[in-house]
Amino acid sequence: MPTAHSIQRIESLTAFSESVLAYPIVLSIHLACIALFGGMILATDLRLLGLTFNSLTITEVVTSLRPWKRVGGTIMIAMGLLLAASKAETYAPNPFFWTKMIILGLIGVHALIFRPIVYSETEELDRSPVIPAKAKVAAILSLVLWTAMFVMGRLIAYWD
Amino acid sequence: MPLQNAVADALNNSEWVFALAECVHIGGFAVGVGTIALVDLRMLNLGLRRETAARILSYTELWTVIALLFAVFSGVALFLSQTDIYRVNLIFPLKMYVLAAALIYNFTVHRKVATMGNPPPLLSRFVATVSLLLWVSVVFGGIFTGFLV
Repeated sequence: MPTAHSIQRIESLTAFSESVLAYPIVLSIHLACIALFGGMILATDLRLLGLTFNSLTITEVVTSLRPWKRVGGTIMIAMGLLLAASKAETYAPNPFFWTKMIILGLIGVHALIFRPIVYSETEELDRSPVIPAKAKVAAILSLVLWTAMFVMGRLIAYWD
Repeated sequence: MPLQNAVADALNNSEWVFALAECVHIGGFAVGVGTIALVDLRMLNLGLRRETAARILSYTELWTVIALLFAVFSGVALFLSQTDIYRVNLIFPLKMYVLAAALIYNFTVHRKVATMGNPPPLLSRFVATVSLLLWVSVVFGGIFTGFLV
């Protein structure tokens, strides 16, 4: 894997992965973001399913958590890329890593499909007497995709 | 199919039980702390403002407790699977102290202030900040337990 080798050999990345402190610190930040950001995804999805936060409108839950999800997601992905790039040679042949990347892509597709009809149309959802099916489908798929993403992340460490 | 082989290998090797326990441990922790963080976000007045912190807490508390129970029980299983490693680990006892502090804090001070009718905003902010710092410290403790043996 020449590409993986040259990514990993980037001087700053080598220094990073060999540092006793930097690598676990970045991994801790990655995981802390999963906890904080994951709670917000869970809250949004459960609200779309009508399972909790029912005294708050869908609009309130989605819009007030949105900026924090963006901040959390950006830090999480940046840290994740740094972790993967610094160990590019180990990650390149790892099927769990690539499955995780495919799921990340699917999460992007999920956003493309459901943002215009669910997440940007929350006022329409709030006006509806029952939560429309499209919102529940979006929520269930989101829960499934993020859970799969999380499990693949953990399994990366188990491939050799 | 390298993925299928990898999955089969993982399942044929008893290592998969360990991997499953780790997933439950981290997943339980993420849901538990993620739901606490929603209360903190409200106490910091940074989101979900149309509802009181007390109400956010009542919505999330059961999720928090159940998820943390999963994290604790799977954590005990992980610990029991290799006690000798944890016994000599320099960071692990620190993680346990911080965890104990975070748990006690969450169900006493944090809960008390979150359910107050009209808490001083500064008090709410302070209590929520301490809560987030404690839980993030537990994450760091967990990762460093694995790295600095």
